[in-house]
Amino acid sequence: MTEPIIVARGVEVALGGNPVLRGVDLDVVRGEAVAVTGPNGAGKSTLLRCLAGLRPPDSGELAVLGAPPRDVPAFWRDVALVGDEPAWYPGLTVREHLDLMGAVHTPSRLEAGEALEAFGLGPRADAAPAALSTGQRQRLLLAMTLLRPSRLLLLDEPERGLDAGFRGRLAEILVRYTAEGGTVVTATHDPGLAAAARARSIVLSSGRARSTA
Amino acid sequence: MSPVPEIRAFVRSRSRRPRSWLDHYTAGLGLAVTAAVLSQPASALLTAVTREADPSRTGAGIALVMLAWAGLLAAARTLGPVTPPSADAWLLLSPLDRRAVLRRPAGVLLAVSVAAGAVLGVGLLAVLGAPDHTAVRSAAAVVLGVAAATGGTALAVLAQASRTVDAWAGPVVTATVALAAAVALLGSGPGRRLLTAAATAPPTLGAAAAAVSAALAALLVRRAWVALDRIPARILLAATARTGRAAASAVTMDPGSLTWSAEDEHWRGRVLRSRRWPALPAPMAPAWQDWRRLARRPWRPVVLLAAAVLPALAAQAGGASRTATAPAGAGGGSPEAVAVLAGQAGTGAAAASLTAGLVLVGALAAAVTGTSGARRDGDNPALARLLGLGPRRVLAARALLPGLLGAAWLALALAGLSATGALAAGPWWPLAALTAPALAAGALRTARRRPVDHSMPVIDTPVGAIPTGPLVWAMTGIDLTVLGCLPLVVALLFPPAAFGGFLAVQALLGTAVLSAYLAGEGKRPA
Repeated sequence: MTEPIIVARGVEVALGGNPVLRGVDLDVVRGEAVAVTGPNGAGKSTLLRCLAGLRPPDSGELAVLGAPPRDVPAFWRDVALVGDEPAWYPGLTVREHLDLMGAVHTPSRLEAGEALEAFGLGPRADAAPAALSTGQRQRLLLAMTLLRPSRLLLLDEPERGLDAGFRGRLAEILVRYTAEGGTVVTATHDPGLAAAARARSIVLSSGRARSTA
Repeated sequence: MSPVPEIRAFVRSRSRRPRSWLDHYTAGLGLAVTAAVLSQPASALLTAVTREADPSRTGAGIALVMLAWAGLLAAARTLGPVTPPSADAWLLLSPLDRRAVLRRPAGVLLAVSVAAGAVLGVGLLAVLGAPDHTAVRSAAAVVLGVAAATGGTALAVLAQASRTVDAWAGPVVTATVALAAAVALLGSGPGRRLLTAAATAPPTLGAAAAAVSAALAALLVRRAWVALDRIPARILLAATARTGRAAASAVTMDPGSLTWSAEDEHWRGRVLRSRRWPALPAPMAPAWQDWRRLARRPWRPVVLLAAAVLPALAAQAGGASRTATAPAGAGGGSPEAVAVLAGQAGTGAAAASLTAGLVLVGALAAAVTGTSGARRDGDNPALARLLGLGPRRVLAARALLPGLLGAAWLALALAGLSATGALAAGPWWPLAALTAPALAAGALRTARRRPVDHSMPVIDTPVGAIPTGPLVWAMTGIDLTVLGCLPLVVALLFPPAAFGGFLAVQALLGTAVLSAYLAGEGKRPA
C-alpha cells in the first residue's frame, strides 16, 4: 500500500499577487487519508483545486495518479471532488440522482438504496434537491461521490452543514473507503472528523504545509 | 402626516440630497421631450388604424390581442404584481399600515397597467377598424383595453392576497389562450361573418360595452385596493426578491442566474415521485434528465406547441398571405394599420423575411427548452465532473431532445403558414425535420454560452453606439441556427419549384454544423 497517489514538490500559487501556497510539499500514498487544516485563507481550497487540476501551480511539480492533474474526463473517472458548487440537476429527485450516478458508473460501489440508507436520505428520497436543507444537500453530494468508484477523493470541507452525529458516520464511511484502497485528501475545520477518519493531519500556515503527529 | 410618509421622508433625508428645482426641471423637460417625440408616430398610428377593418384579418388580430392580454396577466402573476422596492421591504415587517406602505407600488402598477391597456386598446382598434364615428369607436376601444388591463392586473393583485383567487387566475390565462385559438379558427372560416358583424356593430354598442367593462374594472380595482391589507408579507417579500433578481439579471444581462432561481423555486414546491432510471448507455443516461424534466412539466411542451400557431397568426394579421397572391391593400382594408402594429413592411419580400425570422427564432426557442442539462453542466460543472463522461458524447446525446423539439415546432409552424396560405404548397415538414441537427447545435450553443463580456468594445454606427458584448452574447446560438438552416431560409424567401436539392443540402448542412459544433465543444469540459 505504498503506491504514491499524490506527489507535490515546491508547489507555489499566488492569487491576485498574494502568495497563497509557498513551496508546499506533499506525499500521499494509496489507502491513506490526509486532512489539510488551517485557518481561513490558509490555502486549503487552493491546494485542493491544484490537486484537482482546476488551478495549475505557478511553480513546482505536482503529480496525481502518476501525472499532472488535468480537468479532463479520464482524470475524473479516477478522482472525485466534493466542493461547494451546486451538483444537482433541477427536476430530479434524490433517488434519481443516485440512480443516474449508478447508471453511468457500472459497477458502482453502492446501490442507490444502500446509499440512501448510509447517508440518512431515505425519508427524503423523493425530494428535489432544491427542497433539501443545506446539510441534506451535502449528504446527497457525498452519497453520489461515494456511490461511484474512484481512486482518490478530494473533499473540500465535507462537514459543511452536517450535524455532529452524521459527521461521525461520514468518518466511518471514509475509513471503509480507505480500507478498500481508496485515498482521501480533505480540507477541514473539524479536527474531530479528521481524527475519526484516521487521517494524517497536515497544517497549512503562511502558505507552507507542516505535518503533525 | 401619517407615519409612512414621515418614515420615507426621514430615510430619504439621510440617504440622498433633497431634490432641487433643477431635478424637477430635468424630469419635466424629459417628459415633455418624450411626449413630443412620441406624439408624431402616435398620431400617425391612430390615423392609420382608424380605417375600415379587413375581415380576413379580424380573427387573427383579435386572437393576438387576447394573447397579449393573457401574456400581461401571466407576467403580472409571475412578477407579483405588487412588488415593493427592496428599500421598503423592512417596512412590511413593521406595525405600519400595510396599505399605506404599498400605496406607491400599487400606484405604479396602476399606471403601468393603464399604459399597457392603452396599447391593447389601440391594437383592438387596428383590428376592428373605425369606418365611422371615429372618435367614439377609438375612445371605446381604448377604454376597453384599459379596462381589460387594469381589471386583469387587479385580478392578479387579488390572487396575491387570496389562494382561492390564485387558483382561478391560472385557468383564466389558459382559457383566454384557448379562446384566442378558437377566435383565430373562427376568423379563418366559419365565424368570419360573426366577427365582421362585431367589428361593424353600431358605435353605441361598443361604447356600452366599454362602459360596462370600465365599471367592472373599477370594481375589481377597488377590491384589489382593499385586499392590499391582506397580502401576506412573505408573498410580498418573495415578489420583491424576484423582481430584484430580474432587475439584476437584466442590468448584468445574465439571465442564467434568474432562470436557476426560478427553476429552484418551481421544484422546491413540488411533490415528486422517483421513477426508475432507464438502462441506457452511459452518455445517454445524463441526457435522460432533460426528457424527465420535460415530462414533469407537461404544460411547457403544450404551450410550446400551441405557440407554433403564432407565425401563422402574425402572417394572417399582417396580410402576408395576401402579399403572396395579391398586392397589399387590394381588399380595401387597413393594411397600414396592421403593418404598423406588427412591425411589418408592406412588401412581400419583407413579409417573407419576417416570417423566416419568426419561425427560426421560434424553433430555436423551442429547442432551447430541452437543453437544461447542458446549461447546468456549463454553469456548474461539479456534477459533470462526478459523472466523468466525455463532453462530446454527452452533448451528442443531449442534442436529441432539442433537435426533436425544434424540428417539431418548426414543422407545425410551417404547416400553419401553409394552411393560411402564407406559404406556397411544398414538402415543408421534411425540410423542417432535416433542420433538427442545426437547431440542436444552435440550442446547445445558446445554452452553453458564457455570460456577457462587458469589456468588449462599443462601436459607433450611424444608428448609434452598439456595445458588442451584449450583441455577441445575443447572437451566440442564432449564428449557428441561421447557418445550419440556410437552405430552409432560402426556400422561405424564394419558394422553389422543386424541393429535392433543398432537402439534400439541408440534410448535409445541418449534420455538418452539428458535427463541427460537437467537435469544437468536445475540447471544453462537459
